[in-house]
Amino acid sequence: MPSLLEGKAAVGHLLRRAGFGPSASTWSSWAQLDYDSAVDRALSELDEPLPPDPEGWISEDPTVDGKVWVPGAIQQLWRQRMVQAPCGLAEKLAFFWHGHFATDARKHANFRIAWDQYKLFRTKGAGSFRDLVLGVSRDVAMVRFLDGNANRAGHGNANENYARELQELFTLGIGNYTEKDIREIGRAFTGWGSRGPRFVFKKHFHDEGQKTVHGKTGNFGGEDVVDILVDLPACSRFIAGKLLRFFSHPEPSEAEIEDLAKVFRANKLDIKSTLASMFRSETFRARAHHRALVTSPIEFVVGATRAVGLPDVPSNVASTSVRMGQILFNPPSVKGWTSGKGWLGSAAIVERLRAAQLIRSAVADGLGLSPKSERYKPALAEAADRLLEVALQGQVPGDLAAALQSAKEHDRIAIILGSPEFQLA
Amino acid sequence: MFVNRRQFLGGAVAVGSVLALPRLALGDETNRATPKRTVVLLHLNGGNDGLNTVIPWKNPRYRTLRPSLAIASNQVRKISNDLGLHPALQGFEALFKRDRLAIINGVGYPKPSYSHFRSTEVWFTAQPEKSPTYGWIGRALDRNPTKAPLRAVAIQKEQPLSMVAERPGAVTMTEFGQFRVPGGMEAAADLYRSYEKLDGKRGEVGVAGAQALKVARRIAKLKPAGGRFYSRIGTDLRKVLALLKADLGLEVIQLQMGGYDTHNNQSASHQRLLAELGNNLNQFQAEIDKAGLGKRVVTLVMSEFGRRAKENLSGGTDHGSAGPAFVLGAGIQPGFHGAYPSLDDLDRDNFKFTTDFRRIYAALLGGAFRMDPKPILGDFKPLELFA
Repeated sequence: MPSLLEGKAAVGHLLRRAGFGPSASTWSSWAQLDYDSAVDRALSELDEPLPPDPEGWISEDPTVDGKVWVPGAIQQLWRQRMVQAPCGLAEKLAFFWHGHFATDARKHANFRIAWDQYKLFRTKGAGSFRDLVLGVSRDVAMVRFLDGNANRAGHGNANENYARELQELFTLGIGNYTEKDIREIGRAFTGWGSRGPRFVFKKHFHDEGQKTVHGKTGNFGGEDVVDILVDLPACSRFIAGKLLRFFSHPEPSEAEIEDLAKVFRANKLDIKSTLASMFRSETFRARAHHRALVTSPIEFVVGATRAVGLPDVPSNVASTSVRMGQILFNPPSVKGWTSGKGWLGSAAIVERLRAAQLIRSAVADGLGLSPKSERYKPALAEAADRLLEVALQGQVPGDLAAALQSAKEHDRIAIILGSPEFQLA
Repeated sequence: MFVNRRQFLGGAVAVGSVLALPRLALGDETNRATPKRTVVLLHLNGGNDGLNTVIPWKNPRYRTLRPSLAIASNQVRKISNDLGLHPALQGFEALFKRDRLAIINGVGYPKPSYSHFRSTEVWFTAQPEKSPTYGWIGRALDRNPTKAPLRAVAIQKEQPLSMVAERPGAVTMTEFGQFRVPGGMEAAADLYRSYEKLDGKRGEVGVAGAQALKVARRIAKLKPAGGRFYSRIGTDLRKVLALLKADLGLEVIQLQMGGYDTHNNQSASHQRLLAELGNNLNQFQAEIDKAGLGKRVVTLVMSEFGRRAKENLSGGTDHGSAGPAFVLGAGIQPGFHGAYPSLDDLDRDNFKFTTDFRRIYAALLGGAFRMDPKPILGDFKPLELFA
């Protein structure tokens, strides 16, 4: 039996994985919970309704095409929700699906389409994976990104872009389908298109012939294909592996993946119960997996903001995450973002140090004290001590402790946030 | 613990080296005279008008297709019996005469896309048949892993798709100052070195972070190189030059020059663009030669598409297909490569390509990276750009 994290160390670990890390405003209440209650509380966020859109956010008239593409506003609102949630599981899960079903908003450059996709991940992300895949298949951002409107029967070759990625990247993984499956699935999705910001099924473009998909034959449409794909064992394994690598540890064994895939299947592909089972597993809580994941730039800036208790990621800090290479609604390709220590390249690591300093400045400004005041230095030293408790659960590595002791009060918060320990979740 | 992790890491490195060494050793042994070159990629963003860049001045169809935009024959910088350069390309003419310029005509790919976004994707992934995953540079770097924390740099704000890889080794930058460790943060930076000796992910992050910071500190000290450069592209080329001279072991440097989407009244703007391009690149190659890096660097100048052969009614040109690409360097095969596309046999007013762009990439992968292009690109015969 693996050695397990216990007490507040385990709760801190859970919050970094199931959310974006402990926040200064709520850590003290989490720290009192035993691990199982903390898991329950984290999961309960998935049952809460989606926060309403801000007033005047997008016109309620569905025919209005959001003509102006202002990614800044929706990126900011999403980051703010990540920061302000008690744990952030619902947002973290939406972020996971955004990287999984990756689409680049520049292809449609439409405010409503991007926001609708976020809402899809947020409302369907914890339910049945089958419903989620179906929702994504009808999601306009996806339809536009993978050329649904060009996929028409009787127009030469059907466009197989979605059919390929649906299997390779979204449900089965490479090697678990044939080129024929791609062609036939492409035919099943003919006519799944969009008009403005809405999904439309264009019946006159739909291929009504027989299709053979993974050994089954019928006059299939896209819905039938989704049912066939998510039922394949390769699908549950593919998703289980991805969940483990994102939430638990970077190199899960085949046995660990199969175990979680079994849970996933037994729960009829329900994501929430699969997450619950993963969070409660001994593997998840194993000491060996403590600080085993490198935070991505968004996770880092949101986590740092939460840890010091700021209400939102300062805009100059958000810009550093762009320079580190992660832009919400704009993953680099359909494969989504990378993971691991690739996030710590020469430019990115310096940006992390800079972001740490900018957050320190925002905290210092928030004290409302003049740097000349005699209360200024003690207040910053105190804030650094609080940060050690919130971000590291008081487990301060020896070298960091030594560095802090010889550092000026003014630099301590930034040194903690820039330290290697804080780059790991 | 310390020893264990070292052994583990040592083992991991050895496995990588066993795979990488024969190829590298082979490259080093058999090609001592022609070492690997850093590839500089310059993207002319917007779709450069190829027909008014490399001009078939003798062909009467040229003037029919371009009633208002054709360059008068006596203005064309004639560099062959039937082809010449735009008058603003004094710089390219000089490079051509010094045997530093290869002109590749009619570059494109089957079923061209007329969208900037999509056609750039095609060029940057070199996989027209599928939606983008990794870039062609990214795949090349992945195939030949090294321990270097920095292998490719893009002098721009966002990472180009060409560099997207399974193992990121590429960074985007606009200023060298970006790499400076902020004051007061040296103590945090030093912690990465102390983490190198730890177990598990902490150790890995320590090694990666310490390496990354070491390179960052070297780059932070650089200054854009001197020389007679001007305008935005000149400023960027000064940075490229500084990176090349610093000998950081970079394998690729990418940059872009915007403004080529000339739908309206393009005469004056295209003139200015080409003058900036030619003069700055001529200076760039001269500085490279002067620094003794002539055979260590090769530059590819490409655009996502050429423009429509037939001009439009606004004194400009619309999105098109094939166009010329340019390769600059010492010790390359200078002169013309690829057939100039027919001006008579057009596809809805667009050129039919004669040379697949992947043949240029294949030549670069073989000639500059010393690697087999096939696994990266598929079966494309490399253009004979290298001796």
